[in-house]
Amino acid sequence: MGQFIGTLKGFGVTFSHMFKKVVTEEYPEKRVPLAPRYHGRHILNRHPDGLEKCIGCELCAWACPADAIYVEGADNTDEERYSPGERYASTYQINYARCIFCGLCIEACPTRSLTMSNEYELARDSRQDLIFTKEQLLAPLLSGMEQPPHAMYLGDSEKDYYLSGPTNPGSSAGAEKNPAHRIADRDGKVAQ
Amino acid sequence: MTEVAKKVDTVKLTIDGIEVEAAKGELVIRVAERIGIAIPRFCDHPLLDPAGACRQCLVDIEGQRKPSAACTQTVADGMVVRTQLTSEVAKKAQEGILEFLLINHPLDCPMCDKGGECPLQNQALSNGREESRFHEHKREYTKPVPISSQVLLDRERCVLCQRCTRFSDEIAGDKFIDLMERGADEQIGVFSGRLDVDPAEVVGETGLEGAIDANLLDAPFNSYFSGNTVQICPVGALTGAQYRFRARPFDLVSSPSTCEHCAAGCSMRTDHRRGKVMRRLAGDDPQVNEEWNCDKGRWAFQYATAFDRITEPMVRDPKSGELRKASWPEALNAAAEGLLKARTEGGVGVLTGGRLTVEDAYAYAKFARVVLGTNDIDFRSRPLSQEETDFLTSVAGKFQVTYSDIEAAPDVVLVGLEAEEECPILFLRLRKAANKRGTRVTSIAPFVTRGLEKVAGTLVPTVPGAEATALAESAEVRAALSKPGALLFVGERLAETPGGLSAAARLAAETGARLAWVPRRAGDRGAVEAGCLPTLLPGGRSLVEPAARGEIGAAWGLEVGDLSERPGRDTLQILDAARTGALKGLVVAGVDPHDLPDPAAAEEALEKVGFLVSLELRLSAVSRRADVVLPVAPAVEKSGSYLDWEGRVRPFDAVLRSAAMTDARVLDALARQLGYQLGTADTLAVLKQIGELGETRAPRAAAPTVDAERVAEPGTGEAVLSTWHQLIDLGALQDGDEYLAGTARPPVARISKATAAALGVADGEPLNVSTERGRVTLPAAVVDVMAPGVVWLPTNSPGSTVRRTLGVSSGATVRISAGGTS
Amino acid sequence: MGIEEKLPNGILLTTVEKLVNWTRKSSFWPATFGLACCAIEMMATGAARYDLARFGMEVFRASPRQADLMIVAGRVSQKMAPVLRQIYDQMPDPKWVLSMGVCASSGGMFNNYAIVQGVDHIVPVDMYLPGCPPRPEMLIDAILRLHDKIMDEPLGDKRRKVLEAREPAVVPAGSMPSSFRHNKELRAAWEKAAAQGREEQLRIEKWMETQARRNS
Repeated sequence: MGQFIGTLKGFGVTFSHMFKKVVTEEYPEKRVPLAPRYHGRHILNRHPDGLEKCIGCELCAWACPADAIYVEGADNTDEERYSPGERYASTYQINYARCIFCGLCIEACPTRSLTMSNEYELARDSRQDLIFTKEQLLAPLLSGMEQPPHAMYLGDSEKDYYLSGPTNPGSSAGAEKNPAHRIADRDGKVAQ
Repeated sequence: MTEVAKKVDTVKLTIDGIEVEAAKGELVIRVAERIGIAIPRFCDHPLLDPAGACRQCLVDIEGQRKPSAACTQTVADGMVVRTQLTSEVAKKAQEGILEFLLINHPLDCPMCDKGGECPLQNQALSNGREESRFHEHKREYTKPVPISSQVLLDRERCVLCQRCTRFSDEIAGDKFIDLMERGADEQIGVFSGRLDVDPAEVVGETGLEGAIDANLLDAPFNSYFSGNTVQICPVGALTGAQYRFRARPFDLVSSPSTCEHCAAGCSMRTDHRRGKVMRRLAGDDPQVNEEWNCDKGRWAFQYATAFDRITEPMVRDPKSGELRKASWPEALNAAAEGLLKARTEGGVGVLTGGRLTVEDAYAYAKFARVVLGTNDIDFRSRPLSQEETDFLTSVAGKFQVTYSDIEAAPDVVLVGLEAEEECPILFLRLRKAANKRGTRVTSIAPFVTRGLEKVAGTLVPTVPGAEATALAESAEVRAALSKPGALLFVGERLAETPGGLSAAARLAAETGARLAWVPRRAGDRGAVEAGCLPTLLPGGRSLVEPAARGEIGAAWGLEVGDLSERPGRDTLQILDAARTGALKGLVVAGVDPHDLPDPAAAEEALEKVGFLVSLELRLSAVSRRADVVLPVAPAVEKSGSYLDWEGRVRPFDAVLRSAAMTDARVLDALARQLGYQLGTADTLAVLKQIGELGETRAPRAAAPTVDAERVAEPGTGEAVLSTWHQLIDLGALQDGDEYLAGTARPPVARISKATAAALGVADGEPLNVSTERGRVTLPAAVVDVMAPGVVWLPTNSPGSTVRRTLGVSSGATVRISAGGTS
Repeated sequence: MGIEEKLPNGILLTTVEKLVNWTRKSSFWPATFGLACCAIEMMATGAARYDLARFGMEVFRASPRQADLMIVAGRVSQKMAPVLRQIYDQMPDPKWVLSMGVCASSGGMFNNYAIVQGVDHIVPVDMYLPGCPPRPEMLIDAILRLHDKIMDEPLGDKRRKVLEAREPAVVPAGSMPSSFRHNKELRAAWEKAAAQGREEQLRIEKWMETQARRNS
């Protein structure tokens, strides 16, 4: 008798699940949004006028524990300008066959050029395709942005693009032009 | 220690509680270094005089009211020093200084080439305050300003330590850069700004504003040693245009290497990433180059990756007559067949050039003797003489003079050698000896060169061709060389003077001065030792000595009589024989026909010779005419060793791994194809063979005794040509380095005041120098002190390719006239 | 090689090819090859929340002889390499390999003597999946891309030549992310972007849109 009830109990559990909410995610049809800080594919950001934020400093490559990033710097000239300041990245590659999405490159970036998106569908059928080039990584041009090379539209020198130049190597603090920060600096206290 | 044992010239002091003994006059910072206490510093450099410019090395010394700079403070007995490790005062002082230095520093480390290897960056972290209290606007300058085509100056980053100006002044003697302005405006600069701007307009403006183009500077930083300032700059204020933004120190692999350019034998550091050389730096070898090198050694390395680099063997297609790519077996087979045929029909000559490592040169010497059965081998691709062959045969294997001997010498005499242009590190040593030890330098040359001025030397004005007479007759030279320890340096150019080398050898023997032969190329001395001469076998063994032949024959496993005792032909005779058909084949390595005394004749010989095998790095004038081209490795991709002018072995390892093979290995494969075993397939095996040869017991050849010839007096409108190579010129190893080429000395034709007056040519006006072959027109430079009737031209500079255009060399009589028109 | 590929070339019609490919992709049976942390995600993918059974592949085969997909999940050490190859060899044709995670794909951050620098040194890989480890969605995405590729696979050599000779597709099989391929609108957008070579920018745009929606 006890055995019989035990069996019923077991089936009862199974049966009760028929009336519960289904936990299965319908992935390819419906994508459940991820946590906002999920480490997905990288983006190379742009300044509001379309110039690249990346200055080709290779600090991301230095920080990378998997040696997945390859950068080559080059000179900006007045005729051909890709980023504010002297230097830009002529080559920028992330090898997604090596990248472990740890985010150390993001922390290292002095201009907050490199950030991560939530994009994760990265499978490819060749290792060559897994090496993302600068063209693939660059953020899309939003309204008001112009495809570089072009002159600096936001000011006369690169200092106008930053709070006070890329001051803090190794951290992205104060690296972005932010009016709020400007006020904080002048008054010497933190503004909201 | 008892009072008796205590040396008179030492003192005792205490640093951070550690008692230490030091020599009198030693600097506190050095003593601290010795016991492992690192005091932060920027301006201090062990090879430069103390300056105390940056004040970063402040330490607390008991009894002194304020902290003092450890880099200028000499030790005293009973001194008690406390560094930042034990003294709050010193620590605070250092932090304060660093904060001051950072006030005007732009902190653009992410962009700066120095970032990652920057003393300022490192010491700001180790000895600085965490936060800056400076919130005001920082100083701003135009950046970067090219102060030469190669060196860029960023004044925002500069901390005014003056290492660069002190190096240029004390070591190189090229005072092109200096501190300008005063107070807060103080900055490094070159003398004056632009040529196209009225000086009155730039008054009040700091000199460099607007001078963005180095070509517009009237006195750019065109020192042969400017690269050293880039290396010793403790911040990113001076950077090289070639390396600008190309890589990061943490991404580079550093390999020790040896410079392949001249016979100075500098040790180097080659930085590379992903199979590509990014930059080269001077290595630290106190015996040889100290911590310096020349700009050519530092910046001329892109020839190895030039577009015309040969990576696959090529053979001449019998049908089309064109070179086509081939496999190694096919090419080796073709080369072996051709050489075999040429050997039986008339013989094969070997020209090796002066760029080979000792190991490669040895392989050529052995290949010629064992496989080709000839003594027709010569490494000299420049003007030469039978006298020089005999001279080299007599000096081979003798290593007497070293760099340190120069500093000990009371007197040094230079003949046929312009040290600054032809062996820059030798020049730096001469200058150091002259400045620090009072060594007197005497030069037998046509005029006072800038190099001679910088060593405060005296000139024995000599017309080219009369050096032998000057050596024999000048009382001044004889007196100088008679002093104990005196040195006589002869350059390779002395071979162009009949009797010159004989006179030098005779004078050295008579006065007891030691003689040193200084060639121009890294492989020259090694080629002499390896036996790449028609009269020499490896190890300084004279060919005519049966005992010497016996030693080599035994080592190479040859039958008696296999080694020919008949001296072979030298370079010129080989080419003549090839032209006339006496020689049926040639094996040529790294020879540029334009270096030879008569390039046209050489090219004709290369055209006419029956079978030509070229072992080359890049497609050259030789390989284009070759029947078989075999690619070889550049210095950066192979291991081996050079002998510098001292005879010191300068070994190096392969920096980059590649499939390229050394000459020795290619020859080994070729010999095997012909049925011989050379055993030179790898560098270590060659070294072992050379080592096993050992010292010779055979008697040495005697020095040549050739009489001096009288120099023909030039007639009116004629002059005797003097010429030598400038350090930075059209050399094949400087191809592709445009930034470097921009720092070359502008080619000029030097004439004396009297000659200029006779011709009616003023300084800077064009001057024609011509022969039947052609004409060179260069701006005239009138020299104050110059032997009469002489005109000097750079041998191989833009606009002045003397051998190619004029077909003559030093000592020839040429026509001169005021130029401009035809 | 399956028996269907032994059929004479030329008589087979593309419909048959499609049918065969459909049967093949619809019952993918993976062999278990969990080597490291990635295997945890692989197990999660098989469990209720992500439910691989939706794609006909709920059973991970412990026997290679009944499997046609090998998911190499984790870093492959030099010691494991011959074992992996043996398992692969034991699998019947047709078979596919999915390299899951960066360690299997390239060695990842373990660029050292102990780890095989990419499992493609040992077995042919049909799909590389980055991530450390990849989340279950990424694995599903990789499997679906593999499905896409299989659907495009020719039967026999003659047919292969025919397929190779045609114009290359704007969006090659297996290159479109699954969430785009399974949504009509996104699929059209992707095809348009691919023609301009800005697929990656499209992705970021779509992500920015969702971010903006979430923040508002």
